[in-house]
Amino acid sequence: MNAAIEILSLSFRYPDGTRALSEVSFRVAEGECVGLLGPNGSGKSTLLHHLNGILPERLQAEARAVLIEGRAVTPQNVSAIRRRAGLLFQDPDDQLFCSTVSEDVAFGPEQLGLPAGEVETRVRGALEQVGLSDLAGRPPHHLSTGEKRRACLAGVLACSPGILVLDEPTSGLDPRGRRELIALLRDIPATKLIATHDLELVVELCPRSVILDRGRVVADGPTRTLLNDEALMLAHGLERPHVLQHSHPHLGADRVEPLSRSSEAVPR
Amino acid sequence: MKTAGISRTPRISSAIKVAGAIALVLMATLTPASHPLWFAAEAALVAAVVLGSRVPLRPLLRRLLMLSPFVAGAALAAVLGSHGTDWRVLAARSTVCLATVIVLSQTTSISELLGVLRAARVPSLLLTTLALMHRYLFVLADESARMGRARTARTFTRSRRFAWVTRATVVGHLFVRASERAERVYDAMCARGWKA
Repeated sequence: MNAAIEILSLSFRYPDGTRALSEVSFRVAEGECVGLLGPNGSGKSTLLHHLNGILPERLQAEARAVLIEGRAVTPQNVSAIRRRAGLLFQDPDDQLFCSTVSEDVAFGPEQLGLPAGEVETRVRGALEQVGLSDLAGRPPHHLSTGEKRRACLAGVLACSPGILVLDEPTSGLDPRGRRELIALLRDIPATKLIATHDLELVVELCPRSVILDRGRVVADGPTRTLLNDEALMLAHGLERPHVLQHSHPHLGADRVEPLSRSSEAVPR
Repeated sequence: MKTAGISRTPRISSAIKVAGAIALVLMATLTPASHPLWFAAEAALVAAVVLGSRVPLRPLLRRLLMLSPFVAGAALAAVLGSHGTDWRVLAARSTVCLATVIVLSQTTSISELLGVLRAARVPSLLLTTLALMHRYLFVLADESARMGRARTARTFTRSRRFAWVTRATVVGHLFVRASERAERVYDAMCARGWKA
């Protein structure tokens, strides 16, 4: 299968000298949904910002460390790449910068230079998809966190990206908002890379996960195998999620995982 | 360069409101000091608009009161200055102008206002700046309130000096946070195709 995202030995250091990423390499196939896990400060957000050309601030023409659908993230390609890879930011207030929800959702399609009629169709479609049609005229500061997050997602979906890059999509959401967002994400057919601390979300949505710690990839493999490895989880500031520790009456027998403490080598 | 999704078809009534407000401000500014009754007529006009538009009076008066130091400052400058301008004329003029702008802001949403300005071909960079300023004023106000609450929760002394020092620290932090947020907002704009 073609690679939607390819990261080849990516290293990055912030201007103050902090090393954020060291030799990070992995690929995400088209249509795949991958969880990006790791403790705070492990480099998840920094990595995501490289996928859309936001980092590094000065893109180098010859850099070929990140490829989106086969195109290197360079100054010449960055516009085309931003059309294909939509980024959902961690803080919805950073992303909702227009005066009303519909204006914000229209921002991306307008930047794409689409005609007014098409912009309107996309705004209506995206708002309907996230269930916010009723709040189109609302100013963003009057929305709840869950609504803000869905409005952000509508803004990204309105650009019809083939790849969705999500930074902590469920942080700050109440259980209902979280469930709604998970259901929404499940229905979106795009390739997804989800950076999160919400391990239960990863178990539900992502068949594969990558664990980052101190800027390095420390594990890459099937989500259930990685998350069942308690030693691995604890060594990298994570924990074995509840959903894998107990059987649950609402889940089928096939969803119940053994309580083994796997010490097998983690596939890379 | 395009402006952040501002409506292209402002309602006619918003355009009329903005034009009326500009006309009233110009009238108040150009009213000669020798005709104090004209100020009374302009004030009556603003009052009629307030009554006609059924704007709630309390918030309007509160905003007017909040901005009254500027009126007082202008009047004081007239008293101390050597131009011979009557301070009462200056106070009346500024009050009429302020009241007009407050009524406009209470009857017209920022979206409509920006739409009218866009139709009037105001440079889009200025419009984007205005839209962002309006949007993030609320975020910063929330942030400052949260920091204020956190400060109060851990303030165990009644010392006024200490209170002012911590207040100043909070203001400093707010500037840093505002600048960091500005960078993140710019990143989010670039992520959705913004070309500055």
